[in-house]
Amino acid sequence: MMLLEQIIKACESFSERNAFFTGEQYYTYREFAAAIAAVVEQVHERNSLIGLISEDDFATYASLFGILFSGNGFVPINPDSPPERNLQIIRQAGIRTILSSRPFKSQNELVEVGLRCVFTGNLPPAKTVPALPGVSEESTAYIIFTSGSTGIPKGVPITRKNISAFINAFFDYFGNIDERDSFLQMYDLTFDASVMHYLPALCRGACVYTVPRHEIKYLYAYKLLSEHPISFSLLMPSTLNYLRPYFKKIRLNDLRYSLFGGEAVFQQIIQEWSDCVPNARIFNAYGPTEASIFFMIYEWDPAKSGRKAFNGMVPIGKPMKDTVVALVDENLNPVTGKGATGELVMAGPQLTPGYLNQPGKNRETFFTMEYQGESGRFYRTGDLAFKDEEGDYMFCGRADNQVQIQGFRVELGEIEHHARKFTKIPNVAAVAFQNEVGSVQIHLFLESYSGKKKEVNEYLKAKLPSYMIPAGISSLEQLPVSSNGKIDRKALARLAENLH
Amino acid sequence: MELAEIFKQVNEIFKDIFEEDDIVIEAETSAKDIDGWDSLTHMQMITAVEKHFKIKFELNEILNFKNAGDMCRLIQTKLG
Repeated sequence: MMLLEQIIKACESFSERNAFFTGEQYYTYREFAAAIAAVVEQVHERNSLIGLISEDDFATYASLFGILFSGNGFVPINPDSPPERNLQIIRQAGIRTILSSRPFKSQNELVEVGLRCVFTGNLPPAKTVPALPGVSEESTAYIIFTSGSTGIPKGVPITRKNISAFINAFFDYFGNIDERDSFLQMYDLTFDASVMHYLPALCRGACVYTVPRHEIKYLYAYKLLSEHPISFSLLMPSTLNYLRPYFKKIRLNDLRYSLFGGEAVFQQIIQEWSDCVPNARIFNAYGPTEASIFFMIYEWDPAKSGRKAFNGMVPIGKPMKDTVVALVDENLNPVTGKGATGELVMAGPQLTPGYLNQPGKNRETFFTMEYQGESGRFYRTGDLAFKDEEGDYMFCGRADNQVQIQGFRVELGEIEHHARKFTKIPNVAAVAFQNEVGSVQIHLFLESYSGKKKEVNEYLKAKLPSYMIPAGISSLEQLPVSSNGKIDRKALARLAENLH
Repeated sequence: MELAEIFKQVNEIFKDIFEEDDIVIEAETSAKDIDGWDSLTHMQMITAVEKHFKIKFELNEILNFKNAGDMCRLIQTKLG
């Protein structure tokens, strides 16, 4: 069954059950259906892309589905990101209309360039219920923008078909999810882990608990987990790092599915966490935005998984339903040796049709390969991996300069691009390092820079979202170089660790 | 210790964590008032306060902080 059919069915079957708990208030599926239909009446376009200000309230979720039910795709826009970056996204996606539940910071800048802003916070509920829009399944459901090394964010379109494939794979694996479950949704809508927390829940009549945007996320998430019967949640390892000092006092008996993802997952902390969630099965979910949320999964077994870690990291497991994965070398030939390392590539119905307006990037990233007797369109994840005897894949590093910060993908090159532009210094290096609680942060090194570092920081803040802003900036007389003449990033990462 | 003195000392910790010399905290100051007050800086701030005053907070105490005033009053109680 296609995605929106499942939503309609849930709204009918579970009309008096709660669909959302947001802002300390419950909303039923009946209210949800009426709110979606009210938004549909406000949208006069079809087969277009519509901006969605990523608030955290009920009206925003109704707007998101209102966009889908009106036959359009949504592009989440974080109101706290610099207006200039949001304008880049809006121009790239050709957005003419923006929905927001309330007035937002960069609103004036967006209205000035001729955008139509529709406020959905106070729409009276419609008397009708949403109906299927009758658009092609190949049309875009959403576009998420990720960091691009050239300084311009990359748009990743995900079609309705991609999403339906994800939902099929999700329920093939988590078949027991039903209306008695509750999901914790703590992610900004610009991060695709959010999709996993509202879509499957709303397909099955479950309740979605959201974390408000301006709360301290790990604390509010824990508060929801401890005060409500939440049964399904994907946490980021960094969230666990914050809670770790209190593990001894934490007992979450209702949690049945405790997933991790967005960053490398270390088995030490998972082992400790397993005592806090005595009734939960624990999973590591893996997948980039391009492949619709996640497509590989590993169930962590406290009795035997300890032996399976690589550099302390939990395996990323096996591909889910309908996805094929392989390992390739630099020339894109399959790597076949037992336990050999290669770049992880994937093919299947969850794969994006390609980046928005970036033909060059698409040629680099997507390729056709004959594999196991069939020809398929494959995506290069940029992640290095190997496969063990039981068929589980292990992540073992990046083939490029990308890092994960709070689950967001960051091209260090994008930060360097802006730093170079402002300082006019050719030798700059943004490096990732682990801070004292084990979370990844960025430090920016500049070669012989005599200007004010605070001004560099201010400039970056005007250009980049907050998760890409370096935690510190230093000037060195010379950046260290390794024997092949390249900037020695490992040495800089060690230096950054000592500086913080 | 006087509450005003606790505020003064906590204010210094805030300046250090948020790298902003102009920060002035009041009883009602909360995460949405200060740029950069997120999960990481919150955790760093809690750790710095615990170290400075030689106290420990429980998780449910931290959960109930609505603003800087709540935290300063609890510091005062803990200092006895």
